[in-house]
Amino acid sequence: MDPELIRDCVHCGFCLPACPTYALWGEEMDSPRGRIHLMKQHVEGTALTPEMAGHFDACLGCMACVPACPSGVRYDRLIEQTRAEVERSHPRSPADRAFRAAVFSMFPYPRRLRAMRLPLRLGRRLGPRLQPLLERLDPRLAALVALAPPAPRRVRLPGRVAARGRRRATVGVLTGCVQGEFFPGVNAATVRVLALEGCDVVIPPAQGCCGALSVHSGRPQEAARFARRTIETFERAGVDTVVVNAAGCGSSTKEYADLLSGDPAWAGRARALRFADLAEYLAELGPAAERRPLPITVAYHDACHLAHAQGVRAQPRTLLAGIPGLRLREIPEGAMCCGSAGTYNLFQPVAARELGDRKAAQVLTVAADLLVSANPGCTMQIASAARRRGERIAVAHTAEVLDASLRGLPPSALLAPGRSTP
Amino acid sequence: MNAGEALAASGVTVRAAGPGDAVAGASPRWVALPATTAEVAAVMGAAAEHGLAVVPVGGGTKLGWGDPPERCDLLLDTRRLNRVLEHAAGDLVVRAQAGVTMRALAGTLGTAGQELALDVPHEGATVGGTLAAATAGPRRLRYGTARDLLIGVTVVLADGTTARSGGKVVKNVAGYDLGKLFTGSLGTLGVVAEATFRLHPLPAARAWITADADAGTIGAVAALAGSQLEPSALEADLPGAGAPGTVAALFEGAAADERAKAAAELVGAGAPAAEPPAWWGRLPGEEFLLELRVLPAAVPGALEAVARAAEAADLRPRLRGSVASAVLHLALPADTPARAAEAFVPALRAALAAHGGRLVVWTAPREVAARLDRWGPAGAATLMGRVKERFDPGGRMSPGRLRSGR
Amino acid sequence: MTPALAELSGLLPSLLGPDAVITDPVRLRTYECDGLTYHRATPAIVVLPETAEQVAAVVTECVRTGTPFVARGSGTGLSGGALPRTDGVLIVTSRMRRVLSVDAGNRRAVVEPGVTNLAITEAARPYGYYYAPDPSSQQICSIGGNVAENSGGAHCLKYGFTVNHVLAVELVTPDGEIVWLDTMDPGYDLLGAFIGSEGTLGIATKIVVRLTRAPEVVTTLLAAFPDVESGGVAVSAIIAAGIVPAAIEMMDALAIEAAEAAVRCDYPAGAGAVLIVELDGPGAEVAGQFARVEAICRDSGAFELRVADDPDRRAAIWKGRRSAFAAVGRISPAYLVQDGVVPRTALPAVLAGIEELSARYGVRVANVFHAGDGNLHPLVLFDDREEGAGERAEQVSAEILDLCLAHGGSITGEHGVGVDKSRYMPKMFTAEDLDTMQLVRCAFDPRGLSNPGKIFPTPRLCGEAPGVRKGPHPLVASGEVDLF
Repeated sequence: MDPELIRDCVHCGFCLPACPTYALWGEEMDSPRGRIHLMKQHVEGTALTPEMAGHFDACLGCMACVPACPSGVRYDRLIEQTRAEVERSHPRSPADRAFRAAVFSMFPYPRRLRAMRLPLRLGRRLGPRLQPLLERLDPRLAALVALAPPAPRRVRLPGRVAARGRRRATVGVLTGCVQGEFFPGVNAATVRVLALEGCDVVIPPAQGCCGALSVHSGRPQEAARFARRTIETFERAGVDTVVVNAAGCGSSTKEYADLLSGDPAWAGRARALRFADLAEYLAELGPAAERRPLPITVAYHDACHLAHAQGVRAQPRTLLAGIPGLRLREIPEGAMCCGSAGTYNLFQPVAARELGDRKAAQVLTVAADLLVSANPGCTMQIASAARRRGERIAVAHTAEVLDASLRGLPPSALLAPGRSTP
Repeated sequence: MNAGEALAASGVTVRAAGPGDAVAGASPRWVALPATTAEVAAVMGAAAEHGLAVVPVGGGTKLGWGDPPERCDLLLDTRRLNRVLEHAAGDLVVRAQAGVTMRALAGTLGTAGQELALDVPHEGATVGGTLAAATAGPRRLRYGTARDLLIGVTVVLADGTTARSGGKVVKNVAGYDLGKLFTGSLGTLGVVAEATFRLHPLPAARAWITADADAGTIGAVAALAGSQLEPSALEADLPGAGAPGTVAALFEGAAADERAKAAAELVGAGAPAAEPPAWWGRLPGEEFLLELRVLPAAVPGALEAVARAAEAADLRPRLRGSVASAVLHLALPADTPARAAEAFVPALRAALAAHGGRLVVWTAPREVAARLDRWGPAGAATLMGRVKERFDPGGRMSPGRLRSGR
Repeated sequence: MTPALAELSGLLPSLLGPDAVITDPVRLRTYECDGLTYHRATPAIVVLPETAEQVAAVVTECVRTGTPFVARGSGTGLSGGALPRTDGVLIVTSRMRRVLSVDAGNRRAVVEPGVTNLAITEAARPYGYYYAPDPSSQQICSIGGNVAENSGGAHCLKYGFTVNHVLAVELVTPDGEIVWLDTMDPGYDLLGAFIGSEGTLGIATKIVVRLTRAPEVVTTLLAAFPDVESGGVAVSAIIAAGIVPAAIEMMDALAIEAAEAAVRCDYPAGAGAVLIVELDGPGAEVAGQFARVEAICRDSGAFELRVADDPDRRAAIWKGRRSAFAAVGRISPAYLVQDGVVPRTALPAVLAGIEELSARYGVRVANVFHAGDGNLHPLVLFDDREEGAGERAEQVSAEILDLCLAHGGSITGEHGVGVDKSRYMPKMFTAEDLDTMQLVRCAFDPRGLSNPGKIFPTPRLCGEAPGVRKGPHPLVASGEVDLF
């Protein structure tokens, strides 16, 4: 916890309304300002108490407070450093440790995730009967099962897809762990959209985790390992730009140079490789392919790691609004996190559920046909909150909406119930 | 030294009171005519030493307002406190002694193209009296009332202490705002000696529209408050007893006429006029005057309640006032039978209260007044009593003027 | 911990629920200060009530045990008004944040004290209304805090302050009773006295605010001047022309530099001062006024004018101004925010005086101010790691207030007195003035338990009768002014 970064905070409180946990509980120590105060107490010599650790754990890491801060406090860096400190020096209970270990040994590993799909599918089918039991056993397990999307059939992507028409660029695509396993349709759509817009697309096989979950959970060494591997993968693929379609992966890959700053050689390699969000990249590239009408009403949800961490807000809206017939609606309190927040809904299921409920309620007020977001975690979270209210929200990734328009698919391709994408 | 000698020794002009000096039936023994704040303090100090009950008066336009004083030894006449002390035109601020009449003040300010945007119903009312009775007129809708325009005050307490709060800058949050406390105090907390107000530029033009009053036009005029035409006042005059009523709206500004025309179309009124209707800004009567304060949306209900209560008591009240900021004055004839008044006032008060409204009896014929609760219930009556007790522990400032402990 | 506090920490959870009472020392410390970090005090107990009845229950227990209590909203105050008492209970209203009703027909809303200022406007917007007072911290400051401080904002030039927009308040008195103060009630304007009393007369638990119709047209002008003086000339000329804009704001070169660093507001390059003039109202009025304001600015030396009449461009102009305070953190490791008022016509003299002070002490001062009503916010910059720099900054900051008083101004226009400025009160008020204010305090809070130690430098006990003291006003005695 860098005391210089802590000193930047002037205690003005402008971050408070941006903070989801402050919105939930209205307590100083569950606000960014309060957490920075706790960090300050710790660097000034107060031991890391379980209460303190609890307030750090309760932070979603949504980064909404970062753009809200007029003093430019790097809360993102501070909370990362703090989480690492919590992992180092805060003794967790055995049950806690076991659950965290299970999550971290599964999510970043596509093959292990794949293995989980069957039990999860069973869990879902048993859901109604299993849920109360799990809830009593550990609400976190219940959350895991409730959130799991129906496991789709695998989609095998080719290693390379050639641009349609005139080639304008060559890019790599990061397939991600959760995205790749649970929402392969999104990756397929991403690749098709890029190709239709004139990109040669390179999809290196056997990509690992980018390290996002680790870096956001105070496991920097593990994150660095994943980062180095990801960099190597795309260097070998011979691309200098990598398009990322999951918000969480996007923000962590953009910070590789910081993560690897202890090793100048690796930091240099990180800087040589450009990671860009899909919408950000497409907006820069400019539209070339013909957009066909898609007469639907869309509510666009800002994924925190896209809007707050990467500052990508306008581009996806511009892309969506560029589709003929598509009506774009803003969700009230749109900047507020949905509670998914990476692994947050697994470790803090009660708060995550409350935030999910709030978000689902807000999304339902705009009466859109389709909820669009750039993060699978968000759409899983909001759709599952809607299910609890007995409502169904059709969801899609920005890439899928663009893909449907470029290919001239009917709205039903996105709205049909049982569609296996998020 | 007896009280009279002490007053004389204060160096302030003091004369023996005559029959014409009585305040609502209470006859003082002396009348003091201080010309400065220091003289007010000297008189009040002398009065304190001899336990005299003091009633401050200004233009004498509202002597009958409120309960009559229970005692009055010394009348503190503020009319020699008649100087405009400072008009900082560039700052839109004026500081004046309490005895300056509102008319004289308007004259001074007008030469600089400015005004105190506070309409007062009485010609001869002074600054001090206007604050003490918290009177305001039609433009309360746009500019608020005296308490909203007062930015500083100098008061002299019962014990002769001179205290000031606020200042001569519009924006100021240092210390408690004693000015607010004294606004509406009817002379029961002390004497207002000087007041400082924020001013407004005189509008380039004024335009009134009028229409015959009926449920439709009253509603339409009231609805202008929610329009973007920025009316300055929205009033109605309802003489009752079958006589036709009028509604009117005032617009101020360079484009007043244009806005008034737009409003006239919404209301169904005639062409704008540069002069107000004759009744504008005047009270509907003086001898038996009630004030109805209701929520804006409750105006139609209040009018109905008045009609019902009037019919039940066989009275013909005349109503006038704002249909949007919802302060309506109701006048009854001076010869209203006590029994009818006794039925009317509580019935109307209860009907208004049901929708969050209040009823105050400002003036009433003496024998009627004795049977009425002038003020009705107030949530903060206990606190008000405690404030009075602290400011005037001897109960010598206009005693009984705000009855029921206030 | 005293026996009384020990008893309270055992008792309060049973009244409010265990989640609403904080006694853990690490958690308590996060409440040690509000937006002014210079003063710190860790409260003995923090409570987070959700209803007026809970607030009343806490206050009643405090009264019974003789424990001081302090109310706090969002903790954004800049005068330490919500500084806790180490021997007391901090009553935080951040969980009382329901908008209870928006009544467009009566142009009013009823809200709980923890609702943010901006949230009221957002709740009213669908009806075409808004809540007019707009402190720069409106997105987070609570309406309860606004009531306590009588908050202003950029638009109070035309629309007035919190006190002009609050119609009624439900408060828990320092006795623990729940009472309504209402502008409709006859008698003393206790509501007017309560607003701005900085938590010393009780705790507001429900607030009825006036809603203002959104104006037909809003036009914002950004004018760049070579220096502050020419900007000041423009301000005076606008007022002299009989125009009351919704807002007139000014920033000097250093404040512009900070805002650029923080939010890249992209103000005209080379400006020694920028003026933001906002006109609102009926289109017909605004058009005429705008033409005159534009001409006045040009005649006064403005070298670039930008106009915004849509929300996005307006937001772009305001962005720099709204972020100014916190943005100064980008150009200086530490700073003090001052809040003084002078008559508008004294602005040029006072600004020159501030410049002179800045040069004399070698301390940089950035100026951001509500030029329309003479409310200055000098930001005194210093490096807190440099020996004696903080003291020098304090000195400059204090002398700026002296300057304001010498020109017939006030020691605070909107941030309040709090704990920070109580020592300046005797410079502005006589002992008699302060004693008289104490009478109000004693009427509401005879035990002196409600936010003690704020506003008044040396509060006397309510049993003590203030003696009649005679003598010239301190400013008169010092020859700074002839008379107020």
